[in-house]
Amino acid sequence: MPSTASATFEKWNRKLHYYLGLYFLFFLWLFLLTGLLLNHGGWRIAQAASHRTETGYERAMAPPRGKTDLARARDAVRQLDLQGEIEWPAVPPPRGHFVFSVARPKDASQVDIDLATKMATVQHWENGGLTVFRIFHTFSGSRYNAPGQRDWALTTIWVVAMDALAAGLILMVLGGYYMWYRLERTHTLGFLALAAGFASCAMFFASVWR
Amino acid sequence: MTETSLYRWTRDLHLYLGLFISPFLLVFSASVFFLNHAKVATDRPTSVVTFQNLFIPAGIDTAQGPAAIPIAQAIQYQTGMTGEIGFTRFVKATRHFVFPVSRPGLEASVDLDVDGRTALVSSRKTGMLEAFGYLHKMPGPHNANIRGNWVGIRAWKWFADATIYLTLFISVSGIYLWYTLRAERAIGKVLLTAGAVSLFWIIYAVNR
Repeated sequence: MPSTASATFEKWNRKLHYYLGLYFLFFLWLFLLTGLLLNHGGWRIAQAASHRTETGYERAMAPPRGKTDLARARDAVRQLDLQGEIEWPAVPPPRGHFVFSVARPKDASQVDIDLATKMATVQHWENGGLTVFRIFHTFSGSRYNAPGQRDWALTTIWVVAMDALAAGLILMVLGGYYMWYRLERTHTLGFLALAAGFASCAMFFASVWR
Repeated sequence: MTETSLYRWTRDLHLYLGLFISPFLLVFSASVFFLNHAKVATDRPTSVVTFQNLFIPAGIDTAQGPAAIPIAQAIQYQTGMTGEIGFTRFVKATRHFVFPVSRPGLEASVDLDVDGRTALVSSRKTGMLEAFGYLHKMPGPHNANIRGNWVGIRAWKWFADATIYLTLFISVSGIYLWYTLRAERAIGKVLLTAGAVSLFWIIYAVNR
């Protein structure tokens, strides 16, 4: 690489390292702190982060309309004035019933519509402040081991933010390697730190992998 | 401590601790893409094996929670498997004792016929990315009173915590290091504000 191009790369790599770090700082803290809550379910604060209040109600409604189950669920969600990601039950509902859940970090509802009586039975869970905070860590609207895709635009926006944070961290790590490599005085100790990190990671995987 | 030595210590710790924890950060970051976008057919086991004449520990039909873990482990070891037991369930109607076992690279379920002393073990090998995704979610919030019943997950909990604490330190020290660069303060403040506004806008929009 010519020296001017190399200098430009070096300058922008350094800038990118702290610009990304500053932009994603609050996103990173959210995931780090909620990660602690998720890893330590026994902590009092983690138990408080599982708090939610349950209510239930019934409401008359027009039969949900639409060509697909998702369209019908969206129509029902609109009529019931709910919002969030639509999820389907693991077991098929009884005949004549249309059942789904709608969830977002703030609250979740399970909706069971009796198509014959045109009555919706809704179980509603309102999450506490810490619970909302914790749910953001896992709120992706899609599970790798379950069918279904995310169907709420705001979930997609949140997933893009999570992906951007992950990509940003990878770029910061790779850019950090380059910056360290260019600092010749830190090579020995830096190499030892990096080797210790990779060795811990590799030894852990080698011992648990099957 | 003088300002210069504080700066040097912060800079060096930021660098060396960052280098040490970087492989774990890469694992967590790469697994985000898997967890957000992958779809895996988990209902197709790669092997189904029957084990017969198993020793059935006493209390298998009554033990629950942490008390049921040693019982499940006694069965698990007879099948030659190691890994974290997700939960245990005794089905009174059929007198079957059921529990899942998982570890990076393997996901299995054990269905033990208590009276027949026979266990059906269905297992599925997983790929590297799924293993990263599995570790990303471990130990996790569910069944906290039995989590860490396998040494691998107990060790991983330390690594996961270390990743969190060191990354917190690296982010705070990074702010300090940025703030010492006078020429970058203005744009840095703009980016910090833009990040905060983006995050709080999404949180507001999702919850309003």
